[in-house]
Amino acid sequence: MSFAGVLRGGGFFAVLVLAPLMGLEHWVLNMAIFTLMFATMAGAWNLVGGFAGYPSLGHAAFFGIGAYTLALIEKGHQLSTGYEPFLLLPVVGVVAALIGLPIAAISMRTRADVFAIVTITLLFVTQTLAFNLHDLTNGAQGLALPIPPFPAATFERPYYFVMVALLAVTMGLTWGVMRSKVGLSLVSVRADEDKARGIGVRVTGVKILAFSVSVGIVAMVGAVWAYYESFIYPQFAVDPLITIAIVLMTFLGGRATLWGPVLGALILESGQQYLAYRLGASQFYLIAYALVFLLIMLLLPRGILPTLEDRLRRRRRARAIDAGGEPTQGPAPAGLGNAPAGQSVALPGGGRP
Amino acid sequence: MTALLAVDGLSKRFGGVRAVDGCSMSVESGTVTGLIGPNGSGKTTLFNIITGYVRADEGRVHFAGRDVTGRDAGKLYRQGLSRTFQQARVFPQMTVLENLAVAGGYSWPQMFSPRIGRADRERAAVLLEEFTLVKVADLLAAELSYGQRKLLEFAAVLMSSPRLVMLDEPTAGVNPVLIDTMERHIRDRQAAGITFLVVEHDMGFVMRLCDPVVVLDAGRPIFSGAPAQVQTNPAVLDAYLGA
Repeated sequence: MSFAGVLRGGGFFAVLVLAPLMGLEHWVLNMAIFTLMFATMAGAWNLVGGFAGYPSLGHAAFFGIGAYTLALIEKGHQLSTGYEPFLLLPVVGVVAALIGLPIAAISMRTRADVFAIVTITLLFVTQTLAFNLHDLTNGAQGLALPIPPFPAATFERPYYFVMVALLAVTMGLTWGVMRSKVGLSLVSVRADEDKARGIGVRVTGVKILAFSVSVGIVAMVGAVWAYYESFIYPQFAVDPLITIAIVLMTFLGGRATLWGPVLGALILESGQQYLAYRLGASQFYLIAYALVFLLIMLLLPRGILPTLEDRLRRRRRARAIDAGGEPTQGPAPAGLGNAPAGQSVALPGGGRP
Repeated sequence: MTALLAVDGLSKRFGGVRAVDGCSMSVESGTVTGLIGPNGSGKTTLFNIITGYVRADEGRVHFAGRDVTGRDAGKLYRQGLSRTFQQARVFPQMTVLENLAVAGGYSWPQMFSPRIGRADRERAAVLLEEFTLVKVADLLAAELSYGQRKLLEFAAVLMSSPRLVMLDEPTAGVNPVLIDTMERHIRDRQAAGITFLVVEHDMGFVMRLCDPVVVLDAGRPIFSGAPAQVQTNPAVLDAYLGA
């Protein structure tokens, strides 16, 4: 990792860890917990939707599966310590990842738009099951979790720190993926899966692995959420809006980047909360929220980070060319037929000074 | 000589069209075998069946003495059968070096090792040198000219030490200088023991490079022999020019 990268990551997490000790108000911490949840889920979704290019719309199903898994483990059980549910998070993650395996193996035989439809169907099936499997989920009446014994003054802190840890794990995993051949394989799957298969890339293995790990993380977030809320209902535990939010956040910040999903979550989640606070009574906040989103998409269509990176790259190239170090011998590419639609490419000499 | 690749009675129908129709042919070890034929004669479909991209309705494929009919493309690649595509399919958003590394082998331990491992880097360095791509190694593949992308795709399939390389129109859309370069690379690699099966429309290229030449028409071979005989064979002339 580059020195700047270590500094950026270290600084970011240092601020996150120290923030609650500054005597922040409850509502701020509450907002921070939700922002962290979305950042973590967007980061997890990025592994499948960003790197592998499989736009899953079913991730919220696993949020619900995580929430219900924890609720069922803790059902009719006295907490030994308030931290017990947190210690169970890895179990929840593994259960969801195992459920994700066969689902990935089947649904990932389809691609792109069909995959999106198949996975969103999965989401609604899961929600219907949560409503109708009365014996297990108590249906629409919802399911209670043990009451957390944390003192009121610092009630949010444990959740906050667990979410910081989960975000760190997710970003660490993403960083590992980007540095390893798994990442290179995933990117080749996104670019041209058939070609990738023909040069020996283990396309099926890596995309199923990515899906499984990804939904495992989302399920853990769901479990933290369930414990935080103390009571879960099918319509909130399996909520299509969660799927849409994490997908939008990842697109906004930049797919297949380390910081994109985090940035997207920071902007959208805090922006939404802030606008709701300022314009809430009039419902104008939804329009303002949409406006922010449209503006960014208009100006930075590939997401914030990739667009900026692209500009930087062009500028660097232009400077290299000005300095006389023209790197290509050939003329500009004749056709860019291979570039995926909607992705601009840095062209030689295309940069502005 | 032994047949490295043998196909036996392959057939593939797309709706009412018999793209490949009872096709039997073989590629002898150490040769550069040419595969020619008019448009729609089934060359690419045959390629797709052999390399595991399309499932045949009937017939068998044998590679290196083993029956590999219907085997997955990735598995075949790892066993030494690799191919390129007509349209130079490289990964445009990856650098040239990454395009080579991505073709460089996938055992599970390798998957969890660095993106471009030392073995990959060393192998890639040799190929970059050989294909004069050193200067562009860190550019995105999208920034290369079409001809360079064709060279890159060819270089990439050599990352795995293949035994048989199937090239689908290696010179289509490439300038004459690069065609000569391509020819030289194929000869070098043939000398190093790699067998080639080449689909090509540039007859000059085929006549200079390939022996034997197989002519396909309506999904089955109508001629197989030395390049000099192709031009005079009445069946071939009929297929290309006949009514």
